[in-house]
Amino acid sequence: MNLHRVGRLAETLVASQVRSGRSSSNPRSFLGRPSAIALYDLLAFLGAFLVATWVLRSAALSPTTLAALADYVLPFLPLVAVAAVLIAGVMFELTNTARFAGSDAANWLPITPAEYVAASSAAIAYSYAPAIALLLGGLLPIAVAGGAGATYALCAVLSVAGLFEGGVLVEMVRATTQRTSRFASGRHGQLAIVLRALLLVLLILAFDLAFNPVFLLGFLQRFSTYGDLTTLVPFLWSTRALTEGVGGNWLLGGAFALGQLAFVGLLVYLAGRLRVRFWVPAATEIQLSPAVSARGHPFLTGLGLSPPEAAIASKDLRGFVRRREMLPLLTVPIVLVVLMVVEGSAIGAFGSILWVGWVGGFFALLLAETSVGQERRSFQSYYAFPITARTVLRAKVTAVLVPAILGAAAMSAIVGVLFALPAVAVAAFVLLVAAGAVLLALWGLVFAARFSDFQDRPRPQYLRPGAMLGAMGSGMVILFAVLVPGAFVLLGTWTFASLGLVVWTAGFALAAGLLAAHWVRTGFDRLFREIPF
Amino acid sequence: MSAPPLPRGVSPEVPDPGTALLLDVRAVSKSYGPVRALSAVSFSAPAGQIVGLLGPNGAGKSTMMKSILGLVHPDAGEIRLFGRPVGADPVSAKRQIGYVPESPSLYEFLTGAEYLDFVADMYGLDRATRRARIQQFLTGLELAGHENALISGYSQGMKQKVALIAALAHRPRLLILDEPLNGLDPRSARVAKDLLRDLAGREGVAVVFSTHVLEIAEAICDRVVILNHGEVVASGTVAALRDRAGLVGSGLEEVFLALTGTGDLRDVVSALAR
Repeated sequence: MNLHRVGRLAETLVASQVRSGRSSSNPRSFLGRPSAIALYDLLAFLGAFLVATWVLRSAALSPTTLAALADYVLPFLPLVAVAAVLIAGVMFELTNTARFAGSDAANWLPITPAEYVAASSAAIAYSYAPAIALLLGGLLPIAVAGGAGATYALCAVLSVAGLFEGGVLVEMVRATTQRTSRFASGRHGQLAIVLRALLLVLLILAFDLAFNPVFLLGFLQRFSTYGDLTTLVPFLWSTRALTEGVGGNWLLGGAFALGQLAFVGLLVYLAGRLRVRFWVPAATEIQLSPAVSARGHPFLTGLGLSPPEAAIASKDLRGFVRRREMLPLLTVPIVLVVLMVVEGSAIGAFGSILWVGWVGGFFALLLAETSVGQERRSFQSYYAFPITARTVLRAKVTAVLVPAILGAAAMSAIVGVLFALPAVAVAAFVLLVAAGAVLLALWGLVFAARFSDFQDRPRPQYLRPGAMLGAMGSGMVILFAVLVPGAFVLLGTWTFASLGLVVWTAGFALAAGLLAAHWVRTGFDRLFREIPF
Repeated sequence: MSAPPLPRGVSPEVPDPGTALLLDVRAVSKSYGPVRALSAVSFSAPAGQIVGLLGPNGAGKSTMMKSILGLVHPDAGEIRLFGRPVGADPVSAKRQIGYVPESPSLYEFLTGAEYLDFVADMYGLDRATRRARIQQFLTGLELAGHENALISGYSQGMKQKVALIAALAHRPRLLILDEPLNGLDPRSARVAKDLLRDLAGREGVAVVFSTHVLEIAEAICDRVVILNHGEVVASGTVAALRDRAGLVGSGLEEVFLALTGTGDLRDVVSALAR
């Protein structure tokens, strides 16, 4: 493996990532360089460190409490790193279209599969490092005050390895999904497309669950009577290493840590083999029945859309199941709900309501905020068609709301029935989650109209990174301002205070919804003044 | 509001009396930050004429075409479509325009037929008309039989054909075509060229056509406008440009190289060959 080549390729991939936003598109600016991420790491680390130090001083916790806290949290940090990179990677890294897959430099430059895997994994790990820097910065004062400095140092090393491990797993998913995408190639009919979509969802679901610490630990705990199975699961060796370290058994801890690093090396080898075996950079060819295009859009026109609006919405809805890069959006909510069902007894009814509401809102937000940028350069065709900004706006709102409401309603109905809630409570639950999804869908469109990223790049983001964070942060605040009082009303006994909560929930949701709707309108008007690329 | 005056050195386009001026570009300028993409560009496209927009890479051709469609807003000057300013009623103006962008970005997850159906919906074509016209084009451009495959599996030429059909199916009065023959096989390119000539000659469609292939421009354009560094360096019929460049009997390539100041290529070629 030529490390210089690996480094250059990783640097190029990271540069592509950091330049995906328009504001940092000037390659000469510092923010357009890969080293900008190192600065973000430093800022995240220092910021979290200072906040945690201030909180610890204010709370005046005893060293024993802090030691217990450090011993409890630190062993899980490498696992969190792997899971975070895997989920974020599945969401944002598997977005290469067949066109980019075909022109990916690695396919025609003299780079070996292992070098590509190492470079791409390193680039992914480096790109998502600020999240772990934030956690490490926050945990440092706790570890120091709790006398867990050595455990912290090992945790930091294993967390960085965890980031890389997550990147390698993303590469394995990428290679495997490429093969899955080719599965239906040459076949005929809608069934081929549905089958391909289903296979991809199942594959991503399997990867997400197999390497998800919550699911994995929950699963293993069910077999705890058969001994400590963590020894048999290499993915958990970093946690085992830190747990042994906490217990003072550094020799065994060190062995597990080395084992973990060796496991990452093995994963790089396997990912390289997978790439050789499954990477087929060819576009899929699926034939569909000609009757499909002659039916019109009765459902969408029934919702009050004009023919052009219905055509745009229908095209977006078709893309939702046909586009490989959209499938992670479908999978992640399923993963999150499966996790909740696994851990349902632990989080209780109140937590379950919040969880499902969050998943529904998160799904709607993701769908909405990427709904404009995911069209990439094709978006320019709207400017040439004889339609107005309002036409595209109404179509986009419909294309986002239909799956968001249906998904939220289905999830909440299933979970409501699983928890044996009464029929009225299930209906109220469905209404609450659907309202949250509508609100977040509108909120996502506010950002999509203003900050979409239309760049055709190997690693497109659809929304500029800062806007993505802003939409997530503000969206979650809005969502929980509706969900928390809603959950209290759903589970509590009916009192005068409940009425107040209902009024607050409905009033806040209405006000936020109206404000978002206004900003969506003005955003689309502005977007359609001039082509944004 | 009266149109801004033409800059010095640019002769006004004078269409035949009684010919409808479908496109009138007057002293249009556009800058992207410090880069001047267009500088007081003027030309017009009367009904039934094919106007070739020529120029080296980065001359401003695509920016000009996008400005005509309202995709980018000029900093100065005026563009009139069908006798009205481009911003007056953009929707009804666009209904009469067909556009092929430089690199057509099609929705690759749709089939060719679905994409054309989608575009027909945008232009409000009724189902019977769209089916007949699309089928006609698919057959003429040899895409029939491929229309139900996903566009992601199409070759560059097939995508270009889909983009051409999408621009033509609603029978526009004005065609704005940015390198429309890119990637087409010789037969389809010939069909497209003959079709454009036919549309201009028989139906009075005005065509603004950009290309780097000067033989094509020479063969089908009634007039050419040569842009260089965002400025019109010459405009008129190919014969008139030959006269102006003092290259009577030469091909458009020599005229183009002379007018854009890139004529003497011997040093470049010998340096590259070393």
